[in-house]
Amino acid sequence: MLSVLIWLPIAGAAVLGCLPQSVPTKQVRNGALAISGVVLLWSIWLFTQFDLTNPVFQFQEHLPWIETLGLDYDLALDGLSLVLVGLNSLLTWIAILSSSPRIERPRLFYSLILLVSGGVTGAFVAQNLLLFFLFYELELVPFYLLISIWGGAKRGYAAIKFLIYTAISGALILAGFLGLIWLSGAADFSYASALGQTLPLGLQVVLLTVLIIGFGIKIPLVPFHTWLPDTYVEASAPVTILLGGILAKLGTYGIFRFGLGLFPEAWAKLSPVLAIWAAVSILYGALAAIAQKDIKRMVAYSSIGHMGYILLGAAALTPLALVGSISQMVAHGLILAILFHLVGVIEQKVGSRELDVLNGLLNPIRGLPSISSLLILGAMASAGIPGLAGFIAEFLIFQGTYSIFPLQTLIAVVGTGLTAVYFVILLNRTCFGRLDNATAYYPRVEFEDRFPALILAGLIAFLGIQPSWLVKWSEATSTAMVAAVPTVEQIATVPDAAVPDATVPDATVPDATQLEVALPKEILLPAQTTP
Amino acid sequence: MTATIVSPTPTKLPPSTHEFAEVIHRLEAGGAMLPDTPENLMQIIGLYKAYAVPMDFYWRDLLYIAEQVFLNPLPFFKYFISDEYLKLHNHYAGDDADLRIWRGEATAHPELLEFIEKGELKSKLPRLFHHWYHDRINMEFAEECMRAMLWHGRDMGMGQFDAYLDSEEYRQNADRAIKAYFKGNPLMLGLYKAFPEMFIEQVRQMSYYSNLGLFWEIMAPVFFEMSDLYDEGKIASVPDAMNFLVNGIFAISGRPIYHHVYIRGECYEIIPKSKGFMWLYEAALPYVEAVFYRTSPFRGTKSYNAQAGQVPAEQKDFHYGVLYADKFPVGTAGIPPTLLAQDMLHFLPPYLVEYYQHHCRGEDDMLIQLAVSFQRSMYCVTSAVIQALRTALLYPLDDPNPEHLMANRQFFEAQLDRFKRPEARLRNIQTQDYR
Repeated sequence: MLSVLIWLPIAGAAVLGCLPQSVPTKQVRNGALAISGVVLLWSIWLFTQFDLTNPVFQFQEHLPWIETLGLDYDLALDGLSLVLVGLNSLLTWIAILSSSPRIERPRLFYSLILLVSGGVTGAFVAQNLLLFFLFYELELVPFYLLISIWGGAKRGYAAIKFLIYTAISGALILAGFLGLIWLSGAADFSYASALGQTLPLGLQVVLLTVLIIGFGIKIPLVPFHTWLPDTYVEASAPVTILLGGILAKLGTYGIFRFGLGLFPEAWAKLSPVLAIWAAVSILYGALAAIAQKDIKRMVAYSSIGHMGYILLGAAALTPLALVGSISQMVAHGLILAILFHLVGVIEQKVGSRELDVLNGLLNPIRGLPSISSLLILGAMASAGIPGLAGFIAEFLIFQGTYSIFPLQTLIAVVGTGLTAVYFVILLNRTCFGRLDNATAYYPRVEFEDRFPALILAGLIAFLGIQPSWLVKWSEATSTAMVAAVPTVEQIATVPDAAVPDATVPDATVPDATQLEVALPKEILLPAQTTP
Repeated sequence: MTATIVSPTPTKLPPSTHEFAEVIHRLEAGGAMLPDTPENLMQIIGLYKAYAVPMDFYWRDLLYIAEQVFLNPLPFFKYFISDEYLKLHNHYAGDDADLRIWRGEATAHPELLEFIEKGELKSKLPRLFHHWYHDRINMEFAEECMRAMLWHGRDMGMGQFDAYLDSEEYRQNADRAIKAYFKGNPLMLGLYKAFPEMFIEQVRQMSYYSNLGLFWEIMAPVFFEMSDLYDEGKIASVPDAMNFLVNGIFAISGRPIYHHVYIRGECYEIIPKSKGFMWLYEAALPYVEAVFYRTSPFRGTKSYNAQAGQVPAEQKDFHYGVLYADKFPVGTAGIPPTLLAQDMLHFLPPYLVEYYQHHCRGEDDMLIQLAVSFQRSMYCVTSAVIQALRTALLYPLDDPNPEHLMANRQFFEAQLDRFKRPEARLRNIQTQDYR
C-alpha cells in the first residue's frame, strides 16, 4: 500500500520525462496533476484505514534487498509518518497546481517534482536507516535542478549553496547512522534493530548531536540556516512550497524519528540545550524577518522561527508538546505553502517583492484583493490567531512545554508576538495604503491563481476550528514516544552500560501482549514482528 | 450670448515658459486642457452620456428633497422620488422648454425610467428591495457634492447666494417655512424654539440641495445633446465639445437659482426667484470650485492625519476634487466617486464598453477606467469654464493687441498654476497611458 505512494510518482516522473516534446505544456501539467492527485487520494484512503488507537507502525511492507549491507525494503508508518505523508501528497499536488501552465521545459519540471514527492514519501515511511538515507538523498539532485533551472536571478548561487549544505547534512546523517549500527553491533540497518541499541549514554549524546546537526541543516536551525533565505527566495513559487512545506519537515521528521526515537535517553539529557536552541531560533527568525524588505525573504525567515517551535515541543518531551510539534509540522507546511504561493502570485502580477514598492494591493478593482485577503488569512494563521491551524499547534506546544521550560516557552510566546509584528509590517505595506497610479496596471488574477490558496485557506480554517482532525492522528504515537523516554531521575540512576531499551514496555505504554489480543500481528512494532 | 473659440493668428507672443506651456498654447489656440484626440473625444462624450442619465435622477431628487421632503426628521424615503418629480418637465428639454438644449423629452430619460423599474437585476421587484440591494441610483454622491458646496460656500467668496443665507430676510423666510412645516407638531416646534440655529442650518442645506438640483437640471440636457451630436457626427473634436459647453454656459447663465418649498400645497419662497441669483455665478462657478477643485478628503482613499498637517488648515487649499482625485481607490466602500462610477456604469454607451474591454482588466476594472475617463471629461468641462471666464473677463483669442494676448496668457497661466500640485491629474491626462 505504501509502495504506491513512492513508486507511482516516480513512475509518473519517468513517463512524463519520456513524453515527446510535441505534447503541450498544459497536458504535461494535467498529467502531473492527475498522478499527484491519485497519490493524494491514496493518502486520504490511508488516513481512513489508519488505526488511531494504535501507537505502533502500520501498513508494513517488507522485501529483502541487499542483505549483506543490511539494507532491506522495509516500509511502515505511524501517526508521525502518516500526517507528513499526507502533507507531502497534498503539497505536491498544490505545488503542481501552483505552477504556471506556461512553464518552460515542463516535462523535466514536473518529472522532478514527482521524483521529489516519491523520494520524500519514501523517507517518511522507510523503516531501514539506509533506505531512509537513500530516499533522503534522492531529493537532493531534483531540488538542485529545480532551483538552478527555474529559479530567480541568483539561482545558480542558491542552488549550489543548497547542494553543499544538503550534502553535508546527508554526510552527517549517514555518519550518525553508521556510527549507531557499527558501535551497537546491530545486525542490519533496520529501524527495529537500531531501536534496541544499548550504547553508553556519552556515545549516544555524540551520535545524537551528529544527527541533530545533520537534520538541523535541513530544517534549518540557527546557525545552519544561511542556505535557506537564498534558496527560498531564488526558487520559483512551486519549488518554494515544496522546500518549505515538505523538505523542512524531512528534517524535523528525522529529528523525531531518529533523534528522539533512537536516542531517548540522550535526548532527555540534551533537551534543556535543545529548548534554549529552539528559543534562540524562534527569536532570531522573527527578528531577522522584521528586518527584511523582500516579502519572500521575510516569509523565509519566519519559517526559521516557526521551526523553532517544533524543536521546543520535541525538547519538552511531554505528550501534549509532541502532539503540538507534529501538528505544527502540518500547520506550518500548510501556512508556508499558502504564503509562498501568494507571494509568488504577487511577484508574478506586480513584478516585485519589495516592501517599498508594493502598496495598496487590497484595492478591490485594480489591486489583487482576493490574493491580499488570503495573504492576510495566511499571515494571521502564521501569527497564531485563534480559529486557524497555526494557533492550535502553537497553543499545544506552549501548553506542553511551559511546565518543563517556562523561560524558553515565554520567549517562544514573545516570538509569536514578533511574528504578528512582521506580518503587520508586511500586510500594512503590501495590502494597505494606496496604489501607485503610475505602476498599478497589474494583470487580472485568474481563478487558477486563487484556487491553490483557497484550498489551503480552507484547510487552515477547518483545522483551526476542528483541531481534532489535526491532532488525533499523532496522539497515540506521541504518547508512545514520550513513554519510551526515561525520566531524568531514571537516567541518573541507570549506569551507562545498561541504558533501557526504548522498546521495552513500561507502565505507561500498552504491553505488546495486550496489543496482540486486539490487533493483528503484522501491525505491531517491527522489532516484535519482523522475523 | 454665444461664443465660439476661434484659432488665433499665429503671431505676437513668445512661447510660454510655464510648466504646462504645451497646454497653455493649446488653450491659446482655442483648445482644451485635454489633448484633442479621437480617443479622448470618444471617452469624454461617452462619459457625458453615462453621467447625464443618473444626473437626470440627481437633479429631480435634489429638488424633490429640497421642495418636498424638506425638514422631515426621518427622511427614510427621500430617495424614493415621486412620480410627479420623475415626470417633472426639464426646462431645457422637450417641446415646452424655456430654452431647448436637448431635442429629447422633458420627462425623465427612458433609460433612467427602465433602470428605476428593473434595476441592474433586470427584474420587477418592489423598489424597496432594489434599494436594499443597492440596485439604484446612488444619491449619496449628489449629496456629497451638495455638502461640498455648502461647506466651501462661505469660503469661496463667489456670488451672493451663500451670503444671502445669513441674511435676516432669509431667516424670516426660513422661519415661516419651518413653522408651516411643523404646524401641529409641538415636539418639533419646541425643538425649533430651543435650537433655532440647528433648524436654520438644515434649511440652508436644503437651499443648496435646490441650488445643485437647478444646476444639474441644465447640465443633464447639455450632456444628452452632446452625446446625440457626437452620434450624429456633429461633434468631431475635443474643442468642438468644449465650444458646445462654452456656448451652453453663456446661453443659460442667467437661469434663476431659487429655493421653493411646498407644504400642504402652498409654496414658500425661501429664496425667491426675484432675488436674481444667476445660474452661472451662484451655481456653476461655485460648483466647479467646490466639486472639481476642493471637496474634502474622501474616506477610504487614504488615511489623512490632520494633526500631522496632512490636511490643509485653510479650506481654500483643499485639492481633493475630481481634477486631483486618485481614481484608483474607486471600488472601495465608502467613497462617493465609487457610487458615481457605479451609477455611470449602468448607462455606458456600447462603444465605450467595448473600448474598456480592450484595456487594462476589461470588465473587471471598468469602474476605474470610466472614472479616469470621467476625470478627462471634467478637465474638458473645466477648460470650457476657463475659456468662458476668459471670454467674459478678458479678450478674444484672436485679439490683435499683444498686450491683450499677454493678459489672456497670464490668466491661463494663473489657472494652470493650480495644477502644479503633484496630485493634479493634468499631467496624467496628456497621454492615454493613464487609464
